[in-house]
Parts: sequence; C-alpha cells; structure tokens
Amino acid sequence: MTTTTAPPAPTPAPTRERAQSLKRSLLILVAIAAVAACAPFVLPESRQSIAIRVLIFAMMAIGWNLMSGYGGMFSFGHAAYFGIGAYTDTYLLVTFGWSPWLALVVGAALAALVAAGIGYVAFRYKLRSAYFALGTFAIAEMLRLLATNTKWVNGTTGYHVPLLPESSWTMLQFGANAAEYFYIGLAMVVVCMVVTLLYLRSRSGIYTVAIRDNEDAADALGISVMRVRLTTMALSAAITAAAGMFYAQYYTFVDPDTAFGSAQSVQAIAPAVIGGVATPWGPLVGALILGPLADLTVTWLRTPPAFLDFLTGRSGLDVVLYAILLIVIALVLPKGIVGSIQEWWKRR
Amino acid sequence: MRARNFVSVIAAVGAGVALVSGCGQGGASGSSGDSKVIKIGTLHPMTGSNAGDGAQLQHGAELAVKKINDAGGIKALGGAKLELDAGDTKGTPDTGQSEAQRLVSDGAVALVGSYQSAVSANIAAVAERNKVPFVMDISGDDAILSHGYRYSFRLQPQNSRFGATAAQYIKDITKSKGRPVTKIAYLHEATAFGTGVYTAFKSEAQKLGLAMGPEITYDAASVSDLTTQIAKVKASGANILVVSGYYRDGVLAAKAVQTVKPKLDAVIGAADGAFDQPQFPTDAGSAANGYFDVNYHLNDKSAEAKAFADLYQAAYHDKARASAGFAYDSVRIIAAALERAGSKDPGKIRDAIAKTDLNPLSLSNGPVTFDEKGENTAGLPVLTQIQDGAPSVVYPDNLAAKTIVYPAPVQ
Amino acid sequence: MTARTTSEEAVPSEGGTISRGGTSRRAALGRSPVTVTFALLIGLTVAALLRSGSTAITGQALLTGLIAGGVYSLLAMGLSLIFGVLDIVNFAHGAFLGVGLFVTYEVAHQTGLNPYIALPVAIVGLFVLGALIQLLLLNRTIGGSLERQLLITLGLSLLISNVLLLAFGGDPLSANLTSDPGVHVFGAVANLSRVIAFGAALVLAVLLYVLLERTSFGRAIRAVAASRQGAGLVGIDVRLVYVVTFGLGTACAGAAGMLIAPFTTITPTAGDQFNILAFVVVVMGGLGNVTGALVSGLIVGLVEQLGGVAIAGQSPLLGVFILFLLILLIRPQGIFGAKAP
Repeated sequence: MTTTTAPPAPTPAPTRERAQSLKRSLLILVAIAAVAACAPFVLPESRQSIAIRVLIFAMMAIGWNLMSGYGGMFSFGHAAYFGIGAYTDTYLLVTFGWSPWLALVVGAALAALVAAGIGYVAFRYKLRSAYFALGTFAIAEMLRLLATNTKWVNGTTGYHVPLLPESSWTMLQFGANAAEYFYIGLAMVVVCMVVTLLYLRSRSGIYTVAIRDNEDAADALGISVMRVRLTTMALSAAITAAAGMFYAQYYTFVDPDTAFGSAQSVQAIAPAVIGGVATPWGPLVGALILGPLADLTVTWLRTPPAFLDFLTGRSGLDVVLYAILLIVIALVLPKGIVGSIQEWWKRR
Repeated sequence: MRARNFVSVIAAVGAGVALVSGCGQGGASGSSGDSKVIKIGTLHPMTGSNAGDGAQLQHGAELAVKKINDAGGIKALGGAKLELDAGDTKGTPDTGQSEAQRLVSDGAVALVGSYQSAVSANIAAVAERNKVPFVMDISGDDAILSHGYRYSFRLQPQNSRFGATAAQYIKDITKSKGRPVTKIAYLHEATAFGTGVYTAFKSEAQKLGLAMGPEITYDAASVSDLTTQIAKVKASGANILVVSGYYRDGVLAAKAVQTVKPKLDAVIGAADGAFDQPQFPTDAGSAANGYFDVNYHLNDKSAEAKAFADLYQAAYHDKARASAGFAYDSVRIIAAALERAGSKDPGKIRDAIAKTDLNPLSLSNGPVTFDEKGENTAGLPVLTQIQDGAPSVVYPDNLAAKTIVYPAPVQ
Repeated sequence: MTARTTSEEAVPSEGGTISRGGTSRRAALGRSPVTVTFALLIGLTVAALLRSGSTAITGQALLTGLIAGGVYSLLAMGLSLIFGVLDIVNFAHGAFLGVGLFVTYEVAHQTGLNPYIALPVAIVGLFVLGALIQLLLLNRTIGGSLERQLLITLGLSLLISNVLLLAFGGDPLSANLTSDPGVHVFGAVANLSRVIAFGAALVLAVLLYVLLERTSFGRAIRAVAASRQGAGLVGIDVRLVYVVTFGLGTACAGAAGMLIAPFTTITPTAGDQFNILAFVVVVMGGLGNVTGALVSGLIVGLVEQLGGVAIAGQSPLLGVFILFLLILLIRPQGIFGAKAP
C-alpha cells in the first residue's frame, strides 16, 4: 500500500550531467509553454474556461506530486492548502483592498507554515501511508467545517471578489474570458514547474527522494529527515496555495465547499495519478486529460447514440462515462501515462 | 532516451490541446449561425445531489420553449424559434461558472438558472462581465443581488422575504384563531439559506412582539436524525415550531416531531424545502398532516397554471412543482423581452427584461416587475398546509383554496 | 467483549492492555484508552447537561447517538474488513450503501410488502456485486499504490451513484414502514425502525464476528490479513479470499443501507455522507479490527449527538474529527487495538 517500493536511494549524478539534464528539462518546459501559448488562438471561445481549468489542475497536481510523488507522503488533504491560498487572497482583497499578488505571498507563506506544522506533528507521531492520508483528509475537512461556522470569514457565504469596471494587472482582473487569465495561469504553471525542477535537483530535493526510498538509510547517512520533509511539504503547500489564489481570482468567488471540499483534494491527486506519479511531466499531461474530460463526455453524449435512446431525458450518463474512463485509465496504466511511456521506452 | 522522452511529452501536450479544442466542435456546430434561432442558456444541477430539482427546473424551461415555438416563435424577430442550450452545473459553483461562460460564448442571448444560491452568485458575475442577462428562477440568498449587478434578475422571493412574511402570517393566524404564540422555537439548517431566513424572521418577530424560543441549527449535509433537536423543542415549551431546511432534513424533522411529540399548536416551514411538496405526505407518512409552509406556490386557480401542470404531467409523468413554474416563467420573461426589444442584442434584452410586466404561474401580487436591484417586487410567499395528503394554499384568505386548520397539533 | 485484531500478529487482548513497543509518551496516554474514552464521553455528557440544562435533552442525545452509532458500526465493520485484509482505502463504501437503499426501495415497491424482507436480498445482492467488482477490477490492482486504488474507488463511487441516477432519477424516494411508532427508553424516544436497525446491526455484527473467528474460512481471511505470502504458502487461495472479503464488506454496507432505508430519504447520493464517518470509525476501532469498529461506531454516534448539544454553533462533526486526529496521533492502532502499526 505504501509508496515506498521504489529502488534504493539514487546516488546523486555527477554535477555536470545533472546540469545537462536540468537544461534539457527546462528546454522541454519552454517547448511545452510555446505549444500551450497558442491555445487561445486555436481554442473556440467557449472552451477557454477549460484551458484555465487545465492550468489550475496542473498547478495543484504539481504541488501534490512534489510532496506525495517525490516525497512519498501521501496527502489526501491538499484542499487545506488550496483553501488557505484562496481564502487569504480573497480575505485580504475584500477586507483591505490588497492586490492579489501581494496576498499570494501571504497566502503561500501561511499555507507553507500550516503544512510544516501538520508535517511536524504527523512525523513526530510517525503517521504513515493510509494513516497519514486520512489524517490530512481530516484536517482539510476540519478547516472546511471551521470556515463554514466562522462568522468573520463570512461562514457559508464566503467571499465575492468585487468586479472592477476595467482590467487591472495589479488587481488581477480582466474581462470575462480574457486571454490574460490564460497567460497568467500559464506563467504560474511554468514558474511552479521551474521551482519544482530546481528543487528536485537541489540537495534538499535529492534527499527528499532518498528519504522516500529508504528513510532509515537516509537517516543513517546523517540527513535531517524531519527538516527535509517539512521543506518539501512547505513548498508543495505554497504551490497549491498559488493555485487556490489563481482559482479565487478567476472565478471571483470562494466559499468553504469550493475551497476546502474533498473534491479539491481529489483534483490535486487525480491528474498526477493519471499522468504519472513522481514523474516531472505527469501532472501536466494528467491535467490535459482530466481538464477537458468531463466536458468531452458531455459533448459526446449531447446527442446519444441510438441504442441509448431509452435514456432520453435522464441525466447522469456523461458522468457514468467519465467515471468509466477514469477507472479504465487507472487500471490500464498503473504508472500513469508518462510513467507507462517511460517504462515502455526502457523495455524496448 | 531523453530526446525521445522530449518528443513524447510534446506529442502528449499537442494531443491534449487538440483534445480541448475537440470538445469545441460539438458545441460550436450548433445553430448559432442560423438567424432564425435564438439560444437561451439554462444552468441547472442535472447531476449530483440536487439532480431531482434540477430536472424539474429544466423541464419547466423546456415546456416554455415548446409553447412559445408552437405559438409561432418570436414574432418581432420574424418568427425566430427559441432553442435551449442546456448546461449542467453539477451543483458546484465553478462548473456553473464555466458552463455559463461556455453558453455565452456559444451565443446564448440570456441565461436561466440555477437552483443553488452559491452557483447563481457565480453565474451572476459571469453575466455581469459578459453583459448578458441572467434570470434566476430559484435561488434565494439576498446577497446575490447585493453587488449592484445590472444584468441579473430574480423571480423567486428572496430569503429575507420568506422570513419576514412567515413572522407576519404567524402573527395574523394565531391572533385570528384565538390561540396566540407563547413561544416560537426555530429549527434551521446552518448555511446561508437557513440562517438568512431565520435572521429576517427574528427581526420581524421582534417588531411584532412574538416571543422567540431556542434557535436550533443542524448541518443539512450530514444530519441523519433530528430527534435530539426536537427534544430541545419539547423541553423549551414553545407552542410553535418554525423550520427552514431542505427536503431530506424536512422529512427527518417531521418524523422526529411525530416520535418525540412536543406539545405544539403548529409546525410551520419558512421557505422549507419539504413541507409544501406534493411527495412530502408520501415520504413522511401521517407525520405530514397539518404541516404549514410559507413558500412560493403555483396559482392553482389560474387556467394557465393548470394547463402547465397538465402538460408537465403528460410530458414527464411527474407532478410539476412550483419551482418548475418559475423556470417556465423565466423563459417567458426572456421571450417577452425579445418581443419588446425586437433584437437579439443582450444589452437591449436586458433593458427590456428590466421593464417586465408578466402574469406569472405562481401566486403573486400582480404581474412580475423588477426593482432596481433586480428583485421581483410582486413575488408573494403564501401559506400552505398539508390537508388530505396534499399541500393546499390556506392563507392569505383571498388566495386560499382550503380553510386553514389551526391549531394543528402533532398527531 | 474481547477486542481482537485480524491483522498481522492477531493477538487477542483486552482493550486496556499497554501497547508494546510504543514510545513512553504513547504508553502513558495509551495506558487505558478505554477509560480515557469513557471519561471523554462522560465529560461530554456533563457538558451537554450543563449546556442544555435538561436531562430529557441529554438523555435523548444519548439514545439517538447510540442508535445512530449502531448503523455506523455495521457500515464500518465492512470497511474495516476491506481495509484490514485488502489494504484498500475504499471510497465507494457509501455508494454501496446507496445501492442497498435502492434495492430495498425496489423490493418493497415491487412486492408491496414490508421493506425488511429486502434484508436478505440486499445482503446477497451486495455480496455478489462486491465480489464481482473485486474479481473483475480490484484483483488487478492488488499491491498497487494507494493513490491508484483511491482513484479507482472514487471512480466506482461516481459510477455507482450516477448509474442509480440514470435508473431512478434524482427525486427522493421512500421505503417507509406502514407504522413506525416511537419506542420509549428511560424517558427518551426513538422510532421503531431505528431500534430495529440498531438491534439488527448488532446481530449482524455478531454473525460476522463468528464467521471470522469460528469458521475455517474466517481463519483463512485472518491468515491472509496477517501475511499474504504466508497464507499463499500454506495453500490458501489468496485471490478467492480477497473476493469473498470484499463481498462481505459490501454486504455489510448493503445491510446497513437496507436497515436505514425505512427512515432515510432515498437518493442516488444518499450514501456519500457516511463515507467520512465510516473511515473515522475504522481508524478509531483499529485497522481491520471488526469488534473495535463495532464499539467505535457507537462512540462516534454518541460524540456526534452529545457534541451537537454541548458545543453549539459548530458542526457536530468537528468534535468527531478532533477525536479522530487525537486517536491517529496518540493511538494509531485504534482505541481497541493492541498492536502498534
């Protein structure tokens, strides 16, 4: 059940090779960004919001992948950090008129702090695998309940970002469906990816993977297990909080269910699992599949095939198809898309 | 190997972009280019926990479109036909928003929706930013129209109206029947809906000099038994219990009242989602008898509402709820606005909607008119009571179909 | 009742045993977890009494909590079995309960008889459904990663509730008893249907316990839970055990669904609200500890109801989650577990 089945700790590659592989990864990232940047020109206007959803999914999955994929700490409560990001942002904006960019710094720092606190307690008491997952889930649910019943964050109503008469980069608000949203989101995804790639090649990042693969060995080598894990969790939480801030700004709205609901935790996990856990590009590929999937099934089934005529006037078929596809992908590609491609390539 | 990896990732991303644009084909291949068709977008929860109500609203809108098209479409636009573009909010605000954006981008000239206030609040923002009118059939939260939006209108009476009206009705009835209020216990679900109605009720009750007892809240999403809460009502010695909740918890409340047997003269819903529903007596059994609800209701005396109910029954083999009538009226309001505006321009349609003057299917203080905020000033909550296994209007007197039975002690 | 664990060493022990190999802090706090738990419950009862100032309300909360807890117990026992034996965090468990609800509705509706005749149908039907799912889907993922199984069970949950939506529509349905009078217990009152659900849940729990403890197949299940390889080596068909275990787990959910059907509004998503609570109960009772799940279910029911009276203004679930986190941290083997995980 645990994710600690990978081979023993990798020995860090010689510096020069590492620098080369980083360069290659960054090149890939630039190429992806370049392809993605064409999206606003290619996509029909009615599908722009799906592209934004893909970006939000990607950011959340990048954050989750860092902590749970590379770090082996299975989080089922990333909604906590997502929600902290979204709430800090809207709270500071609505109450004090702060720029979302400034609020982002506060929100990310707060989420990182909370994650470090959760991590400290959890590792201090040696919570592992499914227990750790359920614990993080409980914390996200508690935050949801607290937000629901706390008047000074507006209880169940949450916050609406006031609409501005004109576009503003400082306040991160543009016309509905404006391409600026897409490019800002894309830039944020790229930044998150660069940060992740750099981190994974840093000392702390290498230790993170080493601890996942063999905690005792890492400990014996004198690695400060706790500090490395908390750093990874904090970074993961900060990235997820950034996704929460962007979500709140794009949807101009946040409430306890949308911010802290378990659906958000699932949305952080699913793209990474579909794309490939602990692969650098898995979250991106997974987000590209899952983001449009729900809309695709709706579109396909808007005029259902003739043998399904008896279902006319009934709802739910598109979600049934979506669920089946989800199950099939998880069954057929146990290592996710990128993971399976990599494995296939190795075997050739 | 790295280079191949590179290629495969790029290929995957390219395929993904194609996938995203792929879902555009189905949507865009509609008939937006056809000048004889006018698209109206509907946004209701077709899946998720509110799918039942979503279906009712959707059906209501479909019937209106059918009726208008059968009568020759929009005459001011050369008999152009209406077409519904249906969105599924799945009951979540972000899906509601992206669906709204999709419908607007696909050429919907107006939006109708959405049943849940949190979802409607998001759609209202989309409507405002795109300058496309949005008519809310069902969504009660006062806050939705508190942002000064110009493009959003609401047909159903807002939550605070229910609370205030309920207090007024209770005062009237208890006084005229000679069994005054000793104390009112209030049971409500804990989200903005229940709390909003309660707050308005309490402030009106204080004005009217009605004594309030305990305020008891519960979490509608997780509650599975309300017996303890009703035990609190019993211990408080209140003679009136007011309830604001959704359908499932309303049934739980009725069953708990029947089991605990507090000494009540009446159980009265304030915008309760259960006590005025045709299937409530089936689900709650004899516990339902005599229950009141202050809620919107179809005008059973109007020929048009009767025809609507028959049509609904024939088309969908189900009883039409009042909410379906609101969806029906929402589409009619947009159609009437199209006639008056003589244009498909959303801005002009918005201005025409603002001048709406239409007799609704639901009980009302005259024709629907919108105030500056977009609230329907004529919306009228009425008092219904379960009698002989069905809800009937019993107050105000001029609209009553049956005579009020008060006190209506718990059986 | 003696607590027992079906995982790893399968050491039967009283709940009050000091856990072996725990840290000193853990031993101190865990010395008498049962006593601590009961102290907490008594504390909550006193708080509820003070807050409400009424014995009638507190008594009602106690009875309601206990009875609601019975259903949590039955549901959680099935989940605990799946969790303990198969290592699957099954997020479709609530959806299986939903299937139990609709089976009951369909049987009661078609025959026009008392809904309780649906109990065997629900148990057998859900057993078969669960066994098939394990056989066709989940057996392929044995030993797979936690996140993959999570995704599959979440997908299953979505699939089941939307198939129900397709088949029955989203409108609420009911399978009421013709007469459901109140039963009085020490001044508090509960519907007959709820009392029956409580009693039947306890009976089924005992049956499950006997099946696991007193039959050779039960021994096989426990052997697989203790060591998959070891069980395979002594000739146990591990895959068959998995299939039957998952079936037993879903049968528990089906039985719970049938038993709550007479007092529940039946909708396709009605089971979802039980998912989280069931996991809380499972962890509290100790992973794979069926008896622990039984007792913990009652405790969670009581905490939920008493907490709702004692801590007004916050959701009663908050108290449940706080208890859950405390147990996770201080006693991850569960209140009634003896082994440190």
